Amino acid sequence: MGEIWPLFPAAIFLSFFFLLVLIELFTISLTKTNVFPTLEPAVEILKNGEFHNALLNTLAFVAIGTPLELFAGLFAALLVYNSYWGKSFVRTIFVIPFAFPGLVIATLLFILFDSQGGFANHLFQGQYWLFPKIIDHDVAWRGSKYLALSVSMLGKVWRDMPISMLIILSGLNSIEPELIDAAKTMGAGFRVRLQRIILPLIFPAMTTVLLLRSVEMWKEFIFPYILAGNYPLLGTLIEKLYGFGSDPGEAAVVALVLVGLTILTLVVIVEITGRIKRVLVNSGVNSK
Amino acid sequence: MSYIDRDEIGKRIVWAICVIVMIIGIIAPIYLLIKYSISDPSTMNTGGRPIPLWPNRPTFDIFLYLFRDREFWGVVSNSAIIATLTVLLTSLLSIPAGYVLARYNFPLKRFFLILLISVRLFPDISSVIPIATFFVRANLHSSFISVVLAHTLLSLPYVIFMATTAFEFVPKDIEEQARVIGANRVTIFTRILVPMVFPSLIAGAIYTFLLSWDEFIFAHFLLDTGGQIQTLTLYLNKNLSFSPPQNVLAAISVCLSVPVMVFTFVVQRYMVSGVVSGAVK
Repeated sequence: MGEIWPLFPAAIFLSFFFLLVLIELFTISLTKTNVFPTLEPAVEILKNGEFHNALLNTLAFVAIGTPLELFAGLFAALLVYNSYWGKSFVRTIFVIPFAFPGLVIATLLFILFDSQGGFANHLFQGQYWLFPKIIDHDVAWRGSKYLALSVSMLGKVWRDMPISMLIILSGLNSIEPELIDAAKTMGAGFRVRLQRIILPLIFPAMTTVLLLRSVEMWKEFIFPYILAGNYPLLGTLIEKLYGFGSDPGEAAVVALVLVGLTILTLVVIVEITGRIKRVLVNSGVNSK
Repeated sequence: MSYIDRDEIGKRIVWAICVIVMIIGIIAPIYLLIKYSISDPSTMNTGGRPIPLWPNRPTFDIFLYLFRDREFWGVVSNSAIIATLTVLLTSLLSIPAGYVLARYNFPLKRFFLILLISVRLFPDISSVIPIATFFVRANLHSSFISVVLAHTLLSLPYVIFMATTAFEFVPKDIEEQARVIGANRVTIFTRILVPMVFPSLIAGAIYTFLLSWDEFIFAHFLLDTGGQIQTLTLYLNKNLSFSPPQNVLAAISVCLSVPVMVFTFVVQRYMVSGVVSGAVK
């Protein structure tokens, strides 16, 4: 015991805050105007239409944003992996978005997607060389639920794509080059190599991306807070209830729902990817 | 030209087009951020005409205005003080912890590792409520110490993992040799081990600094409600709510991003693998 005492300060610090978060979150969620315990905050929040909207918005945000981040990361990783020149240069450029704070990117999108005279409106009205005309008049990007949340998701995917890319790239780099060479020798084209060799071998890396990114999507706050203030996700609803609503009990209930849904998503992804992996392994065995 | 050659050239062209499109998609928004920060009013208010891709009269007036503004320097120094204190506290806690985790096996080691992961399992927006409530009760709300403690909670698990990995790479023989020639544990730790893992510790410190520098959620909940202390992220958010000219928002954003970009470059320099390989002769 005498040898591990240097660990104690960190252990005490982390244990204190872990227990504080756990106990206080449950306590606050069971408190209403100094009455404890009561289920009133939970009952109130379940009847709250804004909560239902936020839940649906967040579900859509996770369901669309997570695969989008996976595919963006996969696409970027394949481009780096199959580089014909300047591999490290391309990788460095692709990592740049992650070097910018989320708040800065959200602010940039706030500027670009301004409803009056924003750059995006000019771009999509075909006012620049090479870019096709998509809209006829200025669009209030932050004034519509779908557009505001889409712009938020765009920012989130753009900013976090490098993490997905680096995880998948590490999976790609672990593939034995001999396997690819052997497939090429036997006449397998890029699509066959991708389907039969690359994707099955990077499946664990893709699973990691799905797990990590789905958690990040659930807990996303900054982009919807800046760009979709009128259309809350669970994260922004917590802030609204705790701040303007001054109802910590209801905010804590939503926070607990968010924790629960995050854990549930992790369990579901692990289960689904486990099944896919078993199918892949079995199909490989059967094809022999 | 053979069929294979044409096929190969076709692939290279497709690859090049995809890479160029990606690079434009990545660089263009960053370019626009910088462009807006040096734009004059005529470049932003075009009355329906396309916004020029380059400012009509590039100007650093907004930066000069910010650098002359006492409030701006106040929030920058607040952010710097909070980030520096977070680095110090995180290093103080994580370096000894990383050493113990790398060197010793003990009954509660697995429990501690699970604790490290569990702490970060809670979304920030969920854990901020109990933490903010606690600091209000403890009369520490709207204070440096509350944000420093919260930011340390965010960075500590990662930095402990970084320190553990770094100490695992230091051969045990070095410690044994130092002990044989009479060095005590503190001397071995401070004079031999810490200098050997210094690059990783610097990387951890920079990671912590950046995390604290651009952190928003905890700063917003702990400082933003009527407090006098503001960080750069809160300053940017406050300006967003006032809808100032776009070049002001862009200039503040650039100021917020510059340390992140610079430090990211520095971290890459320090992230040299195998720093102690071959240390044992």
